[in-house]
Amino acid sequence: MRGLSVFIWNFMQLIRNFSIIAHIDHGKSTLADRIIHLCGGLSDREMDKQVLDSMDIERERGITIKAQTAALNYQARDGKVYNLNLIDTPGHVDFSYEVSRSLSACEGALLVVDASQGVEAQTVANCYTALDLGVEVVPVLNKIDLPSANPDNAIEEIEEVIGIEAHDAVHCSAKTGVGIEDVLESLIVKVPPPKGDINAPLQALIVDSWFDNYVGVVMLVRVINGTLKPKEKILFMATGANHLTEHVGVFTPKSQPRESLSAGQVGFVIAGIKELKSARVGDTITHQARPAAEALPGFKEVQSQVFSGLFPVESNQYEALRDSLEKLKLNDAALMYEPEVSQALGFGFRCGFLGLLHMEIVQERLEREFDMDLITTAPTVIYEVVLRDGTTISVDNPSKMPDPSKIEQIREPIVTVNLYMPNEYVGAVITLCTQKRGSQINISYHGKQVKLVYEMPMAEIVMDFFDRLKSVSRGYASMDYEFKEYRSADVVKVDMLINGDKVDALAIIVHRANSQYRGREVAAKMRELIPRQMYDVAIQATIGSNIIARENVKAMRKNVLAKCYGGDISRKKKLLEKQKAGKKRMKQVGNVEIPQEAFLAILRVDD
Amino acid sequence: MTESVHLLRPIGIKSQVVNFQALPPLALYIHIPWCVRKCPYCDFNSHEVKSASPLRGEGRGEGGLSESLEQQYVAALTRDLEMALPQIWGRKVYSVFIGGGTPSLLSGYALGEILRQVKMLLPLTLNAEITLEANPGTVEADKFAAFADAGVNRLSLGIQSFNDAHLKALGRIHSAEEARAAIKIARQHFDNINLDLMYALPGQTLDEALQDIRAALAFAPQHLSAYHLTLEPNTLFHHDPPQLPDDDASADMQQAIEALLAEHGYQHYETSAFAQPARRAKHNLNYWQFGDYLGIGAGAHSKLSFPDKIIRQARYKQPQAYIQQVAAGAPVQTENAVTRAELPFEFMMNALRLNEGFEAALFTERTSLPLLAIQRELLVAEKRGLLTRDHQRIAPTPQGRRFLNDLLEIFLAD
Repeated sequence: MRGLSVFIWNFMQLIRNFSIIAHIDHGKSTLADRIIHLCGGLSDREMDKQVLDSMDIERERGITIKAQTAALNYQARDGKVYNLNLIDTPGHVDFSYEVSRSLSACEGALLVVDASQGVEAQTVANCYTALDLGVEVVPVLNKIDLPSANPDNAIEEIEEVIGIEAHDAVHCSAKTGVGIEDVLESLIVKVPPPKGDINAPLQALIVDSWFDNYVGVVMLVRVINGTLKPKEKILFMATGANHLTEHVGVFTPKSQPRESLSAGQVGFVIAGIKELKSARVGDTITHQARPAAEALPGFKEVQSQVFSGLFPVESNQYEALRDSLEKLKLNDAALMYEPEVSQALGFGFRCGFLGLLHMEIVQERLEREFDMDLITTAPTVIYEVVLRDGTTISVDNPSKMPDPSKIEQIREPIVTVNLYMPNEYVGAVITLCTQKRGSQINISYHGKQVKLVYEMPMAEIVMDFFDRLKSVSRGYASMDYEFKEYRSADVVKVDMLINGDKVDALAIIVHRANSQYRGREVAAKMRELIPRQMYDVAIQATIGSNIIARENVKAMRKNVLAKCYGGDISRKKKLLEKQKAGKKRMKQVGNVEIPQEAFLAILRVDD
Repeated sequence: MTESVHLLRPIGIKSQVVNFQALPPLALYIHIPWCVRKCPYCDFNSHEVKSASPLRGEGRGEGGLSESLEQQYVAALTRDLEMALPQIWGRKVYSVFIGGGTPSLLSGYALGEILRQVKMLLPLTLNAEITLEANPGTVEADKFAAFADAGVNRLSLGIQSFNDAHLKALGRIHSAEEARAAIKIARQHFDNINLDLMYALPGQTLDEALQDIRAALAFAPQHLSAYHLTLEPNTLFHHDPPQLPDDDASADMQQAIEALLAEHGYQHYETSAFAQPARRAKHNLNYWQFGDYLGIGAGAHSKLSFPDKIIRQARYKQPQAYIQQVAAGAPVQTENAVTRAELPFEFMMNALRLNEGFEAALFTERTSLPLLAIQRELLVAEKRGLLTRDHQRIAPTPQGRRFLNDLLEIFLAD
């Protein structure tokens, strides 16, 4: 027995679980690919560039949405073969919870810094999360091959901003392959092996989960204590669900079945689960027969923060949209939807998203992968409305806001926002936060980096805050946010009328102080977005019965081809076909054709 | 291409696309594909006669064609027509239109030769309209007498504008003075003249547009075409657009032009065409009434009906390729049959350009489809106020004329 324990202890000493923290184009994916290649995880032939970012959209946008992993074997210079588990982390503010779960499955993290650019704000936020979780941060200077590389400056910045020692940071170039072995050696030395008791009751953290068409839900887990094998009855501690494990294994990054996963290891579990919602990220898996005393800390119920209506442009596409959403939901537990009926847009779905980016990704996937033509209504948050009769209702759709005479009070969600930026942009960011009704809670300086903490209405965040933040800081500022509480707010509903008819899908909820201005701006923006048509189009913004803005899209005077003589009619025909196809992407409301963008006019309004 | 047509060709009576009892009237189009200079707005099949080119004729005026090229081309047209005869066997030809390019680059002799061949090979009706497109330059005007002698009985002059600055902006090689002189000479030889004018020109004001029309009216032409300058794809203007009057300004011009021409007794019978009574262009009316036409020459298009099908043809576009292909016995580059689904749109695209619309029976006559086939589309168009109909006629409303593209879209098959 003693012999076995020593063996296990030795085995665990050779494990290193780590993730990579990097600014968006500092070379995270390239480095990951290099490491996988060096450890022989994939052959040359199988190496597709940036294997870890598997979805098209992720590649195009250069962001990682789903965490993926690779269990690699590396023969170190000390002669031992180490088991390196690389856990990929998502890289966007909407997914900060997933980031924290990925990091908490690791003992270490490689902080990749572009040797010519220095530390960037986006890295800072994730680095602090890692340090808070007790993860060892190992600095790496990448792109050392560039002529503009300035390692001394980068080291100084790391020490000053992040506050970790960096003088011995490894120099490497993921692009050329220089120094990749040094990166791994440094990782082995600096990152501690996992702790944990293989004989204790099972505790396995769900780092990520997704749906596979053949085997159902696949869970990526980090086993903290105990051992997990196939054909075992398991219990999900947060949801209380019971399942039977079918397979366990690791990704290399190809999936490879194993006989067991034990404390310290990272791998996958398949348990015949049909729905993603029973395998929530952050939940703890234990044995039914011998359950752990408590769940691992940090589990949060993922909740939709942003809501918007999705409607097919062609009403006969409703069923197709429902099928598409169903399929998307299989792989995206954070996506919520329920049927919605709009007078103007007909049948569609009210959808809940983690944030604006999540919304854009879902919309884009529906259009690209499922070939749907969609109308998306302006994003909104959930308001708590206290009625005069004492009841409280939740309103996630502006058109469902009760009549003002029935409302006692409206409460809006407030979030705490952490903002990180180089100090030259502090002024601009503070101005932006003030415009967005934020109140400053804290400001702290970390070398050249500044951290601002604000409390802000979430409604302001979901509009265009992120884009504005990027533009006022020339892309250098980053942020994360967390729900804080509901607070009473003086908000009003602004209705939009087209040719005198209220279009429910265009209604927005805004703060009273901005309402006149926003109403005017939205109407003006819509005038730009709605093309001239055969008849005048009147656009009005109203609050209750007060008209606060009026715009007019003047009728087109004519639309006719000057010349047509027998001859080559095919070109003229194509022209008309193109015009017809263009109209198909617009929604007919009454006798007015409204383009998709016009429903999101509120997002295009400058303050 | 011919092969695929063969495959598409229905076997047996049931699967016929159309079923004609009588074929539509037939017209002949002859394309002359050269110009002295390509205009920046023009998307027709025209090729510059380069001054350095051996094609250019000595002593035949600026940009004239060399005698040998002219002879080659006339021979090719003749051969082309001969080879096409079986497709139009036994049918009368009601009009001939010689277009381009710049047909007036041809010598009087060459034109005479072309028309001699046409009359020998085809049964032209006695009162057939024979139109020649001409450029109003000095060199061309000197040939007008010869063109009339050759049998041309209608001359269409590409005036475009009487304003030198605008002519220059359009890349035209003639001046306003030359235009006036050419019209005067034309009137000595022809009693049926069309003047082509354009409006909404770069930098043009409403007043300037009307001045152009008034200048044209001073010559009391039998026919007048007023085109809204359009930036066509594959033209210089499309790649490098000039500053044009905006939509409202150009719509104002159109309205004012229509009013002015109506005042002077011109009937506005098609989107851009105006005529004195009984002077409508027969050849063009045939297009708009979905008649048949045989097009010969480089890049010419044809639409020909047969008892069981309607086909469209296009000939090789490059003049040299065309001449070679004729010699090889195969000048037609593409040929395809019009499908039943395309027919209603193709008919409407032409017929609804006519302000008076068309007789309800014409639809069936020209497409062999029952009117019932477009019942739904007609109703939609009527409901939207773009079309009116009774038992006799179907016509665009004034709104439908202004928004003809929106009206036609209704008939476009999904």
